[in-house]
Amino acid sequence: MSNANTILKNSICLSFITLLLGSCAPTPGKTEHKTHHVEIIQMKFQPAELTVKKGDTVVWTNRDIVAHDITEEKGRLWTSGPLATGGSWSSVVTQNADYFCSIHVVMKGKLIVEQE
Amino acid sequence: MKVNPSLTTFSVFAIVCGAMFCTPATAQKKASFSDAEIASIAVTANKIDIRYGEIAKEKSKDADVLNFAEAMIKDHQGVIDQAVALVTKLGVTPKNNSTSKKLLSDAAKMNKQLRAKNGDAFNKAYIDNEVAYHKAVIGTVENALIPQSQNAELKGLLQSVLPVLKTHLEHAEMVQKKIAG
Repeated sequence: MSNANTILKNSICLSFITLLLGSCAPTPGKTEHKTHHVEIIQMKFQPAELTVKKGDTVVWTNRDIVAHDITEEKGRLWTSGPLATGGSWSSVVTQNADYFCSIHVVMKGKLIVEQE
Repeated sequence: MKVNPSLTTFSVFAIVCGAMFCTPATAQKKASFSDAEIASIAVTANKIDIRYGEIAKEKSKDADVLNFAEAMIKDHQGVIDQAVALVTKLGVTPKNNSTSKKLLSDAAKMNKQLRAKNGDAFNKAYIDNEVAYHKAVIGTVENALIPQSQNAELKGLLQSVLPVLKTHLEHAEMVQKKIAG
């Protein structure tokens, strides 16, 4: 009887440990996504070039005294719309992109998606 | 009527340099602008470029020129709004002076010249003037208005405006090159 109880206790304990370890182990194929920040200051995107992982989020914040936007350059595939002083806009990055401010077209930035 | 972009360049530099170095009674002595005068010059210079932009929006059909003009109107209005908010907070009343008056009289001449042009000739005249005007204003802000402003917040605002003006110049030169094509 005592042996049976011990075996039962050990089994329950093992089950808990298995569950605990299972919940902590990384899920295959799932990566943690980061958030990156780009400041728009003195009429420049800083950093102008940013390397991220696919699925990471980039947040742009306008620190200038005039409005800016963040617009995909080649085909204007996406845009933040006008971003007033102090305003922020974020986007999940899935592919490389050259972008610019369509208001001040000489302001340019680049997103590079790192190969996994 | 031939447009002379250098008129603007000459005007701004001549006024400021004249005030600083060449007035006979104050030869060898830098004339100084008060903060009230600096505020007036800054607001006037911004208003002038907004007016040029409005003329461009009326007369041009070129997408690059229109985009540039739109940016000038919005940015310079934004700077005026901030300058007015600041002087209101500081209790400073912008004070007209010989520099702001001369800027206005020269701008009136330039407006007339621009209005006399159409099509490609207008686009060229407008953008040539923008390049010259921004070069001149950058020089004035850097060499006269920032060094002479007494109030730290006014100086800070002018320092913040400088990169905006430099980007405008770069943008104008890009359009100028494209038009010359």
